[in-house]
Amino acid sequence: MANRFDAYGSSSPDAPRSANDQMPNAPHEAEGPLAKEASGANGGAVPDEQHSPAPASMETEASTLGRVHEPQRLHPMTLFQRVLTSLPAVLAFILIPVVTSSNSESWSSLIFAVLYGVLALPAIVLQYYRFSYRITPKQVVIQSGVFNRQNRSIPIERVQNIQIEQSLLARIFGIAKVKLETAGSSSTEGVLEYVGLDKAHEIRQAVRSFQRSRKSAPSTAGASSADASEAEAGVTRTQADPEAATETHAETLFEMPLARVLLAGAFRFSLLYIAVVFSVLQFFDVEAIVDWFLRSRGMLEGVTTALAASPWLSALAGILVAALFGWVTGIFITLNRYYGFRLWLEEDKLRKRHGLLTVTEGTIPLGKVQTLIVRTNPLMRWFGWYTLEVQTVGVDVDEQGHRTIVPFAQHGRVMELARRVRSFDLPDTFHSVSPLTVRRAAVRYTFGVLALVVPAAYFWPADWWMPGGYAAPWYGLLLLPLLYGFGYLQYRFHGYDVRDEGFYVRRGVFSQYLWIMPTEKHHVFYTAASVFQRRLKLSTLFVDTAGAAAFAYPEVVDLPAPEAQSRLQQLERRFRTLYHERIERATGSASTRLSPEERPSLPTEHTPLQAADAPPQDGSQND
Amino acid sequence: MVFMERSTADYTSDDAAQSSEAPSTSPASVEPAPTESPGEEATLHALDPSIKSIWMIKIAGYSAFLVFAVLFYDLTHFFGGTWLPFGVSTGIVFLLSALYAYVWPRLRYRSWGFELGSEELYLEHGVLNHVRTVVPLRRVQHLDVSQDLLEREFGLGRLIVHTAGSRSSDVIIPGLVLAEAERIRDEVRRFILEDPLMEDPV
Repeated sequence: MANRFDAYGSSSPDAPRSANDQMPNAPHEAEGPLAKEASGANGGAVPDEQHSPAPASMETEASTLGRVHEPQRLHPMTLFQRVLTSLPAVLAFILIPVVTSSNSESWSSLIFAVLYGVLALPAIVLQYYRFSYRITPKQVVIQSGVFNRQNRSIPIERVQNIQIEQSLLARIFGIAKVKLETAGSSSTEGVLEYVGLDKAHEIRQAVRSFQRSRKSAPSTAGASSADASEAEAGVTRTQADPEAATETHAETLFEMPLARVLLAGAFRFSLLYIAVVFSVLQFFDVEAIVDWFLRSRGMLEGVTTALAASPWLSALAGILVAALFGWVTGIFITLNRYYGFRLWLEEDKLRKRHGLLTVTEGTIPLGKVQTLIVRTNPLMRWFGWYTLEVQTVGVDVDEQGHRTIVPFAQHGRVMELARRVRSFDLPDTFHSVSPLTVRRAAVRYTFGVLALVVPAAYFWPADWWMPGGYAAPWYGLLLLPLLYGFGYLQYRFHGYDVRDEGFYVRRGVFSQYLWIMPTEKHHVFYTAASVFQRRLKLSTLFVDTAGAAAFAYPEVVDLPAPEAQSRLQQLERRFRTLYHERIERATGSASTRLSPEERPSLPTEHTPLQAADAPPQDGSQND
Repeated sequence: MVFMERSTADYTSDDAAQSSEAPSTSPASVEPAPTESPGEEATLHALDPSIKSIWMIKIAGYSAFLVFAVLFYDLTHFFGGTWLPFGVSTGIVFLLSALYAYVWPRLRYRSWGFELGSEELYLEHGVLNHVRTVVPLRRVQHLDVSQDLLEREFGLGRLIVHTAGSRSSDVIIPGLVLAEAERIRDEVRRFILEDPLMEDPV
């Protein structure tokens, strides 16, 4: 019974669209964006579209790119790499019992060693032999799994981003990790871990050229021979000399010399080392360290006595040391990440390459940029430095959907580069939200602080620290004026503007954001008003874009309700106008509807549903 | 700090999350959402009234767990001392749950409204956090009509509109008569099919 809904409801709108478009490969499209199938015992049963009648262009490409077209194994070095990376965990299991305790438990390490030899090593080998990938003109097929065979096919035009990553170890072995990212999934869809570096570049070339030929095929109806030869020429050229082909089109947009990277790091503060310290402490015996420290006390005598003598000074020194550590860590992290940063434009794609230990190479098609984000913080802003990020849909887990394309540059340069990505007209002045937001912030902070202070003060033991006869938590109330000031600053830094080409939102005090959201990338428009906001006739306005991060969201908080409503309508109108113009350009008339004879038919019209005419109870209850 | 304060849109948590909202969130103090601008609001469609019964049954079901837990406490006092006469805590919790189950569906029903425009789907809902949503139809990725067991008994369905947006990519209209839900789904589908522009969804 429930299948009735699935049959009509959940098929993606792509299927009828492509059928409507006379695409030669419509049946494959109809499988949906990502056809995943587990084909139990007969793992070899790949839906083989090689034998299906393919247009001439596809055939020729298949022959020129035969090396990728056939099912491929990963690079053999993968085996070695996997064993090597699995070793630290194994060694920890094997060695910890030996190191920490007596002989009685050391047999467990023996068991672990045997288990590793019997189970893990064959698993690694089997995994390697059961993993294969191939790239056809229509899709990327990845087969994997030892017991549970997985057969994943990613339609080629869905691949948004191909990222090539090389960790230090991979660079030593000359291998690379290839990540295929698609829209609409929150994680990387296909990972090839690892292939040879030259193979990785070959894969990217193949996918891109297939995408190009697919894009051009439907436009000239029936895949004309000119198209085919052009596509073929493009493929053979890139095959012959991939590097030369990329160099001729490339235009370098932004580069960071070492000094700039270090400067960028100096503005970055990281507390990552604390996590490292804690994780190290888990593996070592804290008591042993303290013991060692006490024994070596002779050398540190002077320092420790000085620290004990003046606790305030030692606290200050501790904070300074922690800050220094954070500063140095920040420099190292930035250096590791952005060393040798280069951003270049290749036809309509942004490409970037950076990294010291792990070299990352990524591609961002300009059309897939959803939102531009200009970031800074008060310190960076004081010196005029800004960061430019773009929001894309193929979410990279490491960067949370935001890709930094200019890590560190002066304001003018950032804006110039941002305009290369997408033209926009930055408003000179932003509209403010309602000043009532300061009042709301004050109320919120007051209650927040009271909720912390009052219980703490109530349960504060009488023999603890009570300066001036009051329990220490009461002094937390002194923070309130600071928080009120912060609330005012939040109001001052919050602004927005609605323009023809996009929606602009500015927000944040310590981490200052400017979102530039082009109208054509708007998705859903919202206003929301909580109980407290309704009392003051305020509303929050926001525009959803694809791939936006969950934190730091471009909301316009506490607009006067009528203004929020009219802005909502204005945004929707702009969006509508934009598409009407496009439709007019494409078809010659502004109508969004086809004429009756052009109308495609819905599946529901072919098979009359009982539910449509019978009372719904009958259709749904008898089962 | 500020954006944490606004609770996320609550229509995705139709059934499950309601149980976590304690009955003490006195719904009586909540003013029903006023509809200010007259233009669009006047023509808003309401949900099918029997959705109130469904919500009430669901809330009653979830609060039954709470009542039973308190009853267990009342009977045993976790095998410790007692300071309340038998039945007081159970009675209070039962009354509050009953009040909640009676009032909340009505408030929620009154806060709901939707309208299928020529090129967009407009909807508003939410008792505590009143959200108005405009979904341009050409942004719809795909559509589902679904029923759970209870909804099937009442002949209702819910329309789930998937978009590529990030924060709440599913827009759900519950409590539609099944045929109505299917009609809206087909209308939205028709719009998408007839859209002369062939563009990538994102």
